[in-house]
Amino acid sequence: MKPLGKYSRSVSIIGVGCTPFMYTVDKPETDGLTEGEMFGYAALKAMEDAGVNPQDVDFYFHGCASPLNGSNYLTPNVQIANWFGMKGKGSIHHSEACCTGYLAIEQAVNAIASGKYDCVLTGAVEFGDSTPHPNDSVETPKHPYKRDKMTMDKFLKTTQWLYDRTYTRSLMAGQELIYDDAAEWYVRTRGITPEQMNDTLNWMCINNRRNAAINPLAIVDTTYEDLAKEQGMTQEEYMNSPFNPRMGDFLRAGGIELKCDGAAAALLCATDKIPEIAKNLKHAPIEVLGIGSAACEASTPHFEVRATEEAVRQVYELTGLKGEDLDLFFANDFIITSHLISAEIAGYLPYGEGWKYICDGRTAWDGDRPINTNGGRTAFGHAHAASGLADVYEACKQMWNECGERQVKKLPKTTMLRGYGGAQNVAAVVIRTLDK
Amino acid sequence: MAIKLEKVVATFYEALEEGKILGRKCPKCGNVEFPPVYACNACGSYETEWVELSGNAKLHNIVLPAALSSKPEYKKLGKYCYGEIELEEGARFNGVVRGISKKNRAEISAKLPVPVKAAIFEREGGFKTVVFDLVEE
Repeated sequence: MKPLGKYSRSVSIIGVGCTPFMYTVDKPETDGLTEGEMFGYAALKAMEDAGVNPQDVDFYFHGCASPLNGSNYLTPNVQIANWFGMKGKGSIHHSEACCTGYLAIEQAVNAIASGKYDCVLTGAVEFGDSTPHPNDSVETPKHPYKRDKMTMDKFLKTTQWLYDRTYTRSLMAGQELIYDDAAEWYVRTRGITPEQMNDTLNWMCINNRRNAAINPLAIVDTTYEDLAKEQGMTQEEYMNSPFNPRMGDFLRAGGIELKCDGAAAALLCATDKIPEIAKNLKHAPIEVLGIGSAACEASTPHFEVRATEEAVRQVYELTGLKGEDLDLFFANDFIITSHLISAEIAGYLPYGEGWKYICDGRTAWDGDRPINTNGGRTAFGHAHAASGLADVYEACKQMWNECGERQVKKLPKTTMLRGYGGAQNVAAVVIRTLDK
Repeated sequence: MAIKLEKVVATFYEALEEGKILGRKCPKCGNVEFPPVYACNACGSYETEWVELSGNAKLHNIVLPAALSSKPEYKKLGKYCYGEIELEEGARFNGVVRGISKKNRAEISAKLPVPVKAAIFEREGGFKTVVFDLVEE
């Protein structure tokens, strides 16, 4: 493949917005929230953050991983534009499952870098924890806003839609390897023991949860240390107890996403147009330096590893950056092993040593190599399409020094977000704060 | 040859009913695609042609099924694992290998890659698929 071309003009993120990630139907104050209200909130917050009026926004991208199942829409972009002042403007819906929110940045950057638009909103919404009422089938919901809880059993049935019907589902392996393939690959190629991998998986959960416990937008608000104390156990005992049962060959329950509801959005602008469009911008623009992309269908051996290696290779070739140039790293870790292997493939953690950094707590928000400072998919939550943009939200807030008591120690200038999902799309997004 | 609108998938499954495992071979570079598809993913040739596979292969790694990564139907497989399969003809893909369990995992892991042989397995839903069996040495 030829090297990625440079963008025709610089594009920057100027504003971000994000709802809390939540189980909407579980609480009276959120039960009944709709797609327009959730996406609209995130979109308007992104515009407010940039000091831009909806009328300054030329176009918008809408992401949702499973719009028919979760929202009962085929064209969700059309249905909600009126909620945030963009009635009549052009838009496109896109869906790359759990990678949607990362490729949402790609969509907006390409639309602006081409010269077609100057200012574009890119957002995503997902009801990962509930479906329109009554939810006996995707054809029958009739109520205008009520939703029913989606059980894990029902959710897992819909995940087969992520896999090739003709061969992969039939061969029975690709869809099952998502849980443990990366852990087995790491153990075998780095020469660590299964027990060391068990500790590493547990410590990723612990670090994610520590990060989430102090993040008001995250779905969990307690640490594993707190949970262990409640049971009269040490943290280590708790992590290896039936409270955190083994669910895979390596994976334990704590390493699996907390599927939930949420929305997030980002506002992007041609960098040279910022003085004209966002006259009162309160923070430095964050330029999108490049995005590597790869997709490996699930019958491909080590699909996550291969696609991540390729996406990272592309973006480093384009930007000339290396892992040591990164100050902050996000990995879509709905299977928590992603967190370790993608940070190591990107060179953010040294080859064969990443597991030690994690077990020493160095990748938590207050460590020297922070990862997923918002809590990641196992503790911030996973509103599938929206998760990537929630990571973009967190990355920008950290890069703008706007995280208060949970601000990382060294102000990050350059961040990579490794998107992953949809069996399997991978994106390696690199962003950098522009010098004033 | 010419580019054809062709029922590749149906032909593959119909051949399994007759006891044959088919792939598609590139006439330009010799790469074999399995599962079979139209074009060659090695050289980009538009066309590939049918080839019957020997069923001889190697297993490169072992992931054992667990609560999350198995289904009630898979009980019919007996003891099995998931892993990267490399066919004698060259194609690599994720597959199921019977005859591997917690009991012999360590012993087999030490010998990887190990020889395996394709077999045809009846799935629920009225179709057959391809699995592999460990070849005892």
